[in-house]
Amino acid sequence: MTDIHVSSSSSPVVGGGGRHLLEVKDLYVEFHTRDGVARVINGVSYHLDPGETLAVLGESGSGKSVTAQAIMGILDMPPAKIPGGQILYKGENLLAMPEEKRRQVRGKEISMIFQDALSALNPVFPVGWQISETLRTRAGMSKKEALNRAVELMDLVKIPAARARVKDYPHQFSGGMRQRVMIAMALAMDPKVLIADEPTTALDVTVQAQIMDLLGDLRRDLNMGLILITHDLGVVADVADRIAVMYAGRIVEHADVRNVYKHPAHPYTEGLLDSIPRLDSKGTELATIKGLPPNLMRPPTGCAFHPRCKYAKSVCTTETPLSLDLGHGRTSACHFAKEMLDGTLR
Amino acid sequence: MFRYLVRRFLQMIMVFFATTFIVYALMYWTGGDPIQALAGEKPVNDVLRAQLTKEFGLDQPFLVRYWNYITNLLHGDLGNTLVGRPIKDVLADAWPITIQLAVIAIVFTILFGVTAGVIAGIRRGSIFDNTTLVLTLIVIGIPSVVLAPLAQYLFTIQWKIFPTTAGGNPTLWDLLLPGIVLGSLSVATAMRLTRASVSENLRADFVRTARSKGMPGRRVIGIHVLRNSLIPIVTFLGVELGSLMAGAIVTEGVFNIPGVGYQLSKALRTEDTPLIIGIVSVLVIIFLVANLIVDLLYAVLDPRIRYE
Repeated sequence: MTDIHVSSSSSPVVGGGGRHLLEVKDLYVEFHTRDGVARVINGVSYHLDPGETLAVLGESGSGKSVTAQAIMGILDMPPAKIPGGQILYKGENLLAMPEEKRRQVRGKEISMIFQDALSALNPVFPVGWQISETLRTRAGMSKKEALNRAVELMDLVKIPAARARVKDYPHQFSGGMRQRVMIAMALAMDPKVLIADEPTTALDVTVQAQIMDLLGDLRRDLNMGLILITHDLGVVADVADRIAVMYAGRIVEHADVRNVYKHPAHPYTEGLLDSIPRLDSKGTELATIKGLPPNLMRPPTGCAFHPRCKYAKSVCTTETPLSLDLGHGRTSACHFAKEMLDGTLR
Repeated sequence: MFRYLVRRFLQMIMVFFATTFIVYALMYWTGGDPIQALAGEKPVNDVLRAQLTKEFGLDQPFLVRYWNYITNLLHGDLGNTLVGRPIKDVLADAWPITIQLAVIAIVFTILFGVTAGVIAGIRRGSIFDNTTLVLTLIVIGIPSVVLAPLAQYLFTIQWKIFPTTAGGNPTLWDLLLPGIVLGSLSVATAMRLTRASVSENLRADFVRTARSKGMPGRRVIGIHVLRNSLIPIVTFLGVELGSLMAGAIVTEGVFNIPGVGYQLSKALRTEDTPLIIGIVSVLVIIFLVANLIVDLLYAVLDPRIRYE
């Protein structure tokens, strides 16, 4: 299994290289709106190595997408502001780069695919034109070369009859095929990191599995690092190596995927796992996590999860839990993480 | 596509007959006394009246007169004005002038309205945006009966930049100020439409995609945003050009330009029924064709539109 490193301060050692492909260090993002300041990311750290899949899990509003957009540098600033943290790509801090240099990283080194491919693709240009746009404008290919490469990419993501469909428009494709077009477009410049922001949420269940398989295969064949953002625990089990669970702009648990499923070390993770429908508990009521995610303009005191936590004690309402190192690169931001693992927490 | 065109063509024929029929009927029942109008102040004696009535076919029943008019029209004969001039000649003189005026107005609209709209759309909430919004509001609020004489007074009498009136055979220079006055209302509308369209598309998901592909800002706006924003703007400009072709009664009147609007208002004043109906019939055709072209252009600009 991959070497796991979480706590952001100590220097990581991976495969002797001494640094990760991509590393987010103690990142803070806030949105300045008319109603006040929403602190949406509060000290997030994670990292990614080549050929590895990191699943970032959380409800809407937990900050998982915002972190990804901060990595890509496509946050609208203002209203967004990054008051602290680093995003290191191959050791270089993306946040300190001049915009022009940063732009060169986008799409070429780090690429991103989005949830709803229908609105994420430009409706008035053919898919081949959109896939080959970076090749023409950034790789200096001729129109014909770029279009041929687009056909190859469409073959790579298993779009049938690619050559015949390269001049079709996005609306002429089915949902699953459109997402494949998105993936082909993101792969055009051979990126080292692919960020997939809820890539299967808008799709049928059968198609979801196909897209996840495709992403897994591509990650392996092209030796990319894959960040898979999702709110669906079921999706990540087969594909991910590690899971980072986010809540209210923090990573509450970070661990090897099998450990998380076997023994969650944070009550929120446990709640997520319990709310997956299971065949063997058919007929019983589905477990849910009570309450709603916190308002980030006015976050709760102490642990942000305490109003919804079934184990909450008085310390949880006053003190923000630090990320606790549980060994084997596993962390949990819960005052009672050890008790959770022991099964002694009541 | 072919079926769509056939259907549109049949619709156009029906609309043409319906509108000409309505106009003809309105002129028939409200048209006053054309013979007295022809004679002006002078009294008309009974013999002359009987003779003229017969000559213009005024004694025929309404449907017969409409039928005669339509059959002549379909043969390309628009008939004569009450004073005996072929209507075809009147239109052949007036239309080129009106078309020049319309083209000036549209070019002015594109140059200022669309450009300002794009800038305002990109910089929403900026000083430029707010200033142009207020200015367009003022322009939209002023009717052309005020705007045209005001512009004439300021630019031709006070500052003497442009010629005051155009006269019989106007040059492009003579038509410049009237064209701008005519276009100013379109400028305001085009600017607001462009601004809304651009700022909406700037927030679209595909713009985020283009940025995440590492496209430079000018390409994101110049290609991805503008190409999408163009769809409603081109539609608006097409319809606008169609209605500008119909001439501008007020503007042409104020600047004394012998275009279609001027002829139409003159025909209305002199109760020249054949000329009114002749002009309106051709206007209907121009308007229908302009709308058809706009609809076809729309399908070219937006691949999601398919005409079945």
